[in-house]
Amino acid sequence: MQLKTMLFYSHPLELTRILEAIDTFLRIHLSPGLATLAEGILVGLLLLATYAMIALALIYIERKVAASFQARLGPNRLGKYGVFQSFADMIKILIKEIIQIKKADKLLFYVAPFFVIVASVLAFGALPFGMNLQAIDFNIGVFYLLAVSSLGVIGILLAGWSSNNKYSMIGAMRSGAQFISYELSAGFSLMTIVVLSGTMQFSEIIEGQRYCWNLFNGHLPAMIAFLIYLISGHAETNRGPFDLPEAESELTAGYHTEYSGLQFGFFYLSEYLNMFIVAAVAATVFLGGWMPLQIKGWEAFNQAMWFIPSWVWFFGKAGLLMFFSLWVRWSFPRLRIDLLLNLEWKYLLPANLVNLLVMVVVVLSGLTLTELFPALFGN
Amino acid sequence: MRDITHIIRQAAEDAQIEERQKLTVTVKPRQLHPVVEALYRNKELPFDYLVSLTGMDWGETLGVIYQFSSSADLTQEVVIMTATADREDPLLYSITDLYETAHLNEREVYALFGIRFINNPDMRRFLLNDQWKGFPFRKDYSHDTGLNPVTVISSEIVDVAPCIRETADGKLIEENNPVFDEEDYIVNIGPQHPSTHGVMHFRTSLDGEIVKKVDVHSGYIHRGIEKLCESMTYPQMLHLTDRLDYLSANINRHALCMCIEKAAEIEVPGRAQYIRTIMDELQRISSHLLAWACQCNDLGATTAFIYGMREREHVLDIFDKTCGGRLIVNQNVVGGIMFDIYPDFRKDVNVFIPYMRKRLKEYDDFFSHNPIALGRMKHIGYLSREDAISYGVTGPAGRASGWSCDVRKYKPYALYDRVEFNEVMRTEGDSYARYQNRLDEIAQSLHIIEQLIDNIPEGEVCAKTKPVIRLPQGQFFQSVETGKGEFGVFVESRGDKTPYRVKFRSPSLSAVSVMPLICRDAFLSDLIGIAGSMDFVIPDIDR
Amino acid sequence: MNFSTYIRGIFKGLRSLAGGMSVTGKEFLTPKVTMEYPENRKTLVISDRWRSELIMPHDEQNEHACTACGICMINCPNGTIRVISASIDTEEGKKKKILDKHLWDYGSCTFCNLCVISCPSDAIVFNNDFEGAVFNRSKLVHQLNHTGSKLREKKREPLPANSEKTTDK
Repeated sequence: MQLKTMLFYSHPLELTRILEAIDTFLRIHLSPGLATLAEGILVGLLLLATYAMIALALIYIERKVAASFQARLGPNRLGKYGVFQSFADMIKILIKEIIQIKKADKLLFYVAPFFVIVASVLAFGALPFGMNLQAIDFNIGVFYLLAVSSLGVIGILLAGWSSNNKYSMIGAMRSGAQFISYELSAGFSLMTIVVLSGTMQFSEIIEGQRYCWNLFNGHLPAMIAFLIYLISGHAETNRGPFDLPEAESELTAGYHTEYSGLQFGFFYLSEYLNMFIVAAVAATVFLGGWMPLQIKGWEAFNQAMWFIPSWVWFFGKAGLLMFFSLWVRWSFPRLRIDLLLNLEWKYLLPANLVNLLVMVVVVLSGLTLTELFPALFGN
Repeated sequence: MRDITHIIRQAAEDAQIEERQKLTVTVKPRQLHPVVEALYRNKELPFDYLVSLTGMDWGETLGVIYQFSSSADLTQEVVIMTATADREDPLLYSITDLYETAHLNEREVYALFGIRFINNPDMRRFLLNDQWKGFPFRKDYSHDTGLNPVTVISSEIVDVAPCIRETADGKLIEENNPVFDEEDYIVNIGPQHPSTHGVMHFRTSLDGEIVKKVDVHSGYIHRGIEKLCESMTYPQMLHLTDRLDYLSANINRHALCMCIEKAAEIEVPGRAQYIRTIMDELQRISSHLLAWACQCNDLGATTAFIYGMREREHVLDIFDKTCGGRLIVNQNVVGGIMFDIYPDFRKDVNVFIPYMRKRLKEYDDFFSHNPIALGRMKHIGYLSREDAISYGVTGPAGRASGWSCDVRKYKPYALYDRVEFNEVMRTEGDSYARYQNRLDEIAQSLHIIEQLIDNIPEGEVCAKTKPVIRLPQGQFFQSVETGKGEFGVFVESRGDKTPYRVKFRSPSLSAVSVMPLICRDAFLSDLIGIAGSMDFVIPDIDR
Repeated sequence: MNFSTYIRGIFKGLRSLAGGMSVTGKEFLTPKVTMEYPENRKTLVISDRWRSELIMPHDEQNEHACTACGICMINCPNGTIRVISASIDTEEGKKKKILDKHLWDYGSCTFCNLCVISCPSDAIVFNNDFEGAVFNRSKLVHQLNHTGSKLREKKREPLPANSEKTTDK
């Protein structure tokens, strides 16, 4: 109890307190089994709601940011600065007719969007949003995330295959090639950090970065891994300059050409959420996740940093990375499929393999910053 | 010129050779191919550039007017006419074996005049659909709307190309050649597609992502402007030229005005010439800016698209203040210009020039050296010099293949002989060369404007013309350099206040006709990128 | 390709990518110049020569300069203008053609300006009032002469172009 009070005063805006109150409330009024069930349902609902809210916010932000890059204003009609535009779009998408495609493979066509969205919800659910704000803290968190996020490509392939549309088909095939290639790079660059932190559990990875982010702790190899992760993560989300599966100027809309209404909405939401997930994972693994900026020995400063709640730190870091991703997206032309695969197989993958080796050497020979300067950075 | 007459005489003794505005030769249908071939194979001055191929209905006879020029010297020109009296099944000989650009042009003539060309391997109708009844450009065409009712039922595209072949012993055989193999995986790029810059339709057969064959379908916005012109007086016709290549609206109109002025012997005041030249160059800048923007957009850089539009806006603002139109500027009239420049014109243009120069630098930083962009443009869509000439690809695209074809240099009009500018040339022949050519031409245009803007003389802006303009009997030609290439106007007059036949030589048609060649074995993505680099405008093709 | 060019290629590529991003980054911070219509209606400047709507300027006595000669109608390339004339008996007892209706179809006009430049009495001009949207096509046909207007008797100086609207814009 002593610890908890301390936590309350030192971290005033954390959500831990509320969560615990709810937990206590449920456990008083319900049997243990039911309480767990109710909590599960609550967490699920909360995650879904956050999922949708983040997607809507991201769509708005992306449109505004893109507009700024392009000397435009972006949405500005609905509400001040057009803030309600996403909501209006959502309502429109919800009430639109779902068009049945002749000669489409009905079942596959129907399930494809679910694959995509389920994959991204599964990944989303495992993210550590803040201190004690994680639905489940697997001991193989990184591995789990890689596994579920690669499910999405099945949905994209199905969508392209079942649409009975040549553009969709080409888009889906591109997506398959792209996703499988870049999954490799993303995996390797995360593994580099797993080597550095010695764990796959998110909570431990974050705890390990208390005084020194992995990005700096592993210096050169970590920075290369970070760069590669950003590139391959960007590619995995099918966003420009890697948006070949959609390739608006070539394939009209690629794999989701034939989708309408809510089904299209699923693809749309998951695209934005995937962007968030990639940014969130990068923030967690490389930039210390929800851990506020801490400097060893500066207790007052550290305490001040804790007044900013951990989830703000988390979203802030992820937001910064997302802004970077938008910046890249709206600056570069699209790659061609062979250039894309060249980039992966001739540049990123070899670099990654070497990098992994370098990281192993760095860790084994104690050249990480925490081990070189334990007084400054050691936990 | 004597050599040429000599060559023609050798190939066809009884050819009728006249010195009109251009050297005009009339030959019998049988002699056409030998004469053309002799000119084509002429060592010293090969007439290897088919400028235009114009179908004609002279009343009793149907025929074709060919306008040839030499790639080495564009000032050398020969016009060859041939005609057949058979109106039921008119047959002429094809010259597609010598000039690639003849393919689509002969198909167009077939669709509009019903003349079929022997030995043309693909005699489908171009611009019109297969079901069209009658030949609309003939003088005896029935305008009854019941003949070709508007239908909402879509008809399947039949990929079969009829053709008439002449065997060695002189017999004519009709054949049907399939356009695609049965196994081909055909994707329709267009007519509704974000990157065909209008309602263009490429039937593309793919092997994976690799383009095997492209078949060009066009005519979705064919308005028959040339036919419309036949019922309009010369001043009325002018407003239709703005609607061909709308990005070079002012330059097109300039061409028609000059053609009429030359024929009617109207002297254009000096002030008007200055303003025309400046406006043409501004128009070229806006056209190239849009081409740059669209090419970048086709490669996936949407931001560049908006940047191009942003700069183009400044040009359009100047247009809008000068003549009250932005896209369709309506500036040139017969005898001069409609509106004198507004008081701040000089100031605005002088502000624009350094602004645009700064932006060109920015474009370079932004896109020209981007490794992704280079990968998408370098060594892509290679067009050799020979092919550029054979397909009649002019403008920045032709000059990117090392063919010096700037009409402003060879046949200077307005003030181009008095200003100093470089013809931007490159020899790589790829998308990147075309891309750079456009940016460099913007710089050259700025340079031209700079020389003129502070020296505009005082005076009239429009010569006095008769209330009703009649051209003397004859054939009149005029070409200009638009943003896309050589734009030609041909007017045949019988002395009336309306023309007998008008033909516009469209640079975009050549640009699109070369697409099947330069896209072969490219990636699907590159097809789009190459189309962007060729910079064609559909209303210019469909006319 | 040896190793050093490989590495150099990477860095050259990265540098030019960064150059591209700096251009967009600069634009991100640049204030936007987009005009927000209709909020800016009060300050919106449309150029004086902008051709939008054909009008027939009338003076204070409700008089115009159109003699109903029909030259504009003849010169119009696509039949946008219809001049309907009526004949009246003048005081001297002669028959005289006067303007009854001058109809102009906004919907089919291509704004080529031929009617204006061919008009011998400068009776019609284009103004720059671009807000011409209406709810059906029949409303696009404008009658240019006001009701009860008549021909200006004495030949006066022709009105400068767009005299009606330009002063307040």
